[in-house]
Amino acid sequence: MARCGITLWRINEREDETAELFFVKKKLDTRRVKDVHKYEVTVFRDVEGQEGGKPTRGFTSVQLISSMDDGKLDEELKGAYYAAQFAANPYFELPDPVQTPLVKETGELAQAPLAQSAGKMARALFAPDVHEDAFVNSAEIFVYRVRRHILSSEGTDVSFVNSSVNGEFVVQCRDPEDVEIHNQFQYEALDEAALSARVAEALSFVRDRARAQRILKSGTYDLILSGDAMPELLSYYVSRASAGMVYSKYSTWQQGEDVQGETEGERLNLTLRAFHPYSAEGIPTGNHLPLLKGGKLLTWHGPNRFCRYLGIQPTGDYQRIACANGSVPFAELKKGPVLWAVTFSDFQMDEASAHFGGEIRLAYLIDEDGTVTPVTGGSINGSILAAQKDLTFSTDRYLTAEYDGPYAVRLKNVSVAGVGK
Amino acid sequence: MFPTIDQAKPGLQKLIAVLGETYPYASVLAVADDSRVWRVSRSGINIATSGNGGGTGFVVRVFDGVGCAEYSFNEFSEEKIPALCETLTRRLAEQNAALDGVASLPTPVPADRPAVLKKETTWKIHPRELGDEAIVSKINALREKALAVDERVLDAQAMVSYRCYRKLFLSKNRDLDQTVMWTNAMMAVVAARGQEIKMSYKPFSVLGGAELLDQMDADAEQAARDALELLDSQPIPPGEYDCVCDPATTGMIVHEAFGHGVEMDMFVKDRAQARQFLGEYVASPLVTMHDGAAVDESATMFFDDEGTLTGDTVIIDRGVLKTGMCDALSAARLGVEPTGNGRRESYERKAYTRMTNTYFQGGDCTPEEMIASVEDGFLLECPSSGMEDPKNWGIQCMVTTAKEIKNGKLTGKIYSPIVLTGYVPDLLKSVSMMSKTPELSGSGYCGKGYKEWVKVSDGGPYMKARIRLG
Repeated sequence: MARCGITLWRINEREDETAELFFVKKKLDTRRVKDVHKYEVTVFRDVEGQEGGKPTRGFTSVQLISSMDDGKLDEELKGAYYAAQFAANPYFELPDPVQTPLVKETGELAQAPLAQSAGKMARALFAPDVHEDAFVNSAEIFVYRVRRHILSSEGTDVSFVNSSVNGEFVVQCRDPEDVEIHNQFQYEALDEAALSARVAEALSFVRDRARAQRILKSGTYDLILSGDAMPELLSYYVSRASAGMVYSKYSTWQQGEDVQGETEGERLNLTLRAFHPYSAEGIPTGNHLPLLKGGKLLTWHGPNRFCRYLGIQPTGDYQRIACANGSVPFAELKKGPVLWAVTFSDFQMDEASAHFGGEIRLAYLIDEDGTVTPVTGGSINGSILAAQKDLTFSTDRYLTAEYDGPYAVRLKNVSVAGVGK
Repeated sequence: MFPTIDQAKPGLQKLIAVLGETYPYASVLAVADDSRVWRVSRSGINIATSGNGGGTGFVVRVFDGVGCAEYSFNEFSEEKIPALCETLTRRLAEQNAALDGVASLPTPVPADRPAVLKKETTWKIHPRELGDEAIVSKINALREKALAVDERVLDAQAMVSYRCYRKLFLSKNRDLDQTVMWTNAMMAVVAARGQEIKMSYKPFSVLGGAELLDQMDADAEQAARDALELLDSQPIPPGEYDCVCDPATTGMIVHEAFGHGVEMDMFVKDRAQARQFLGEYVASPLVTMHDGAAVDESATMFFDDEGTLTGDTVIIDRGVLKTGMCDALSAARLGVEPTGNGRRESYERKAYTRMTNTYFQGGDCTPEEMIASVEDGFLLECPSSGMEDPKNWGIQCMVTTAKEIKNGKLTGKIYSPIVLTGYVPDLLKSVSMMSKTPELSGSGYCGKGYKEWVKVSDGGPYMKARIRLG
């Protein structure tokens, strides 16, 4: 770096080791292993003579690998340093320096050989697959062990190892209609019981989808969203509170503002949690960051540059949502008439338009008298701006790597496009 | 270009020979990658070399007594060959032990027919030669142009990116070498109405270089006007309507609604309804669908990531489903020829059957004739996302804009956002008009489910069909 005249920099070193298994039905399709060692170097460059006395501060990043010789390294770094002068952004301070010894995880997933963990999760995934009618069609399991090391010209020197297991599986039921449901999972521990439970639930859902009827009529419904749709729905609040959105004026949210507005339902209580002890910039993330309390925004959050621009201490990046809401047992929440949308082809919350929606793969139409009819087809198109005025959350909980909160939420008067005109 | 590939090649050939002593099949894909992204927006100026996928590294594929296995790594020299072979053998043995008792999917060892190829795509201006200063200056000027259209424009984002890669595929009998460069660009304009933000975008793509930037001038202001129009949009009354799809929306239907369903790794898994419809009408006779390298777009290549040469695959011929597209492993399992569609997100990921350039052929109408033929319907524009459902051929596609058509004329009324749903064959059989010239866009990436992002292009002509909107 010194040879190239670079004085402000950050190095993100990353070593990935994986064991990956791919199955078709219960048969092994492919095995993969990976050993990859990379460096991302971010270089900063100040350009003097700008308005207001402060220089502009530009930055670019390059990917380097250890097999590059000195000539190639110099070429890449000089190229990045040259480019950085044209990424002239308003001046900002770099993250405060942090030094800690290697943070190691504990637990079986962190310590066992990757192949062994992959084998255990494979057995857990197929354990509930014992039925004739509904079965696991295919599955992928990825066990990761990633070592990260962050160094900066400001004196940051932190490293940590993170192990995780993620993947996906498809469940299928052939009768009376041949259907499938796609599922994803992610765990930070070797949670075989959780994966087995997840597969068992999915097998139950796909059995219902096979007998679901295409009878959903267009109109407005009281709607229940549950499971993996919960973090997606609540991601609207995380996005709108991000320092990047606020700095760019895409979000007008102010700290302390009641961002939920008037409501007849529950007031939102959200907390952010991080996957890692440090963000990619080396900012300590701590255990959690309270985001919304009683529908009021407590803090913006985000990477160093945007937080500095907004005059707050940089918080780093958070990937998990915890929601403390919940007032009604799920059994009561789903009292009819209501449409409980269980799975979608792809449920999405659009942080810009505030609209959420997706095509329904399986929903339960629950009548006033408690009659439950599985339905499929049609789509939801709702607005969180309208829906947040009356939200009721279940006291039943749902826990994944990305979410810790109520299993379900009930929203009023959501527009549904049915399968009939 | 990419001299490191030339330097590594003798060592990689030796690696194949050494692995061949243990395994009945061994191949290696070597990738050298060069990419950069320039982006300007209200949040600032950003220049980066990550985010285009790819990366520089290697993936070895072998067949052992269990089946197919792969090893991805990015540190290679001839001296490391013994250690690499030892690591691969040891880790496969560990995995096999941990899976003791699990049966394998029968997979014939690849035929490894002899082939030698060395090709590269062409470009007029390499983005690196044009330089960071000129590119940032150009997209900043375009941004200013869009911002000047109206004070209600909250932001204008302009982005240029390119990826130039060289891939070398080596096995005992194959020596394939290709260098490919694509360049993409995008103008996105954001306008706000209270808490609701509306965005319109214009994508640009070329199998080539920075010459693409000349195409952006005309569309910066139009993107701003489109975003402003969206401020007055309303939610659409759900229902089934006569729709005219613009080429981008046609492309999304081609790709998401139908294309994923004819990826033949889904046939192996019994996940695609299309397998039962081979040789049957699945669409109107106006529909002919292609995938492959017959067009120059961002996903054009000479061979895929498993060393299969690419071509032009006719998927639907005048309404009849002729074939799917297939990677090498799935082809071996199904007993068919691979079509050059075995693609990886990067050397770090598995190869799956993936689309390349996928599009509907043109017809004989004009867009004006098509709009004039609609009594009560919509012109659909600006697709935003879609999700496949190969098993049940359900459609989930989202478009930004539905422009109302009444009695053959656009009324000026706009609805947004729009969810397209329904059953794929119903939609494709309802196609009643196609415009003459297909247009492809290669600015996007395609995922398999929710991951495995690869560069693709898709498109077609303006297309009239009956579609359920919500």
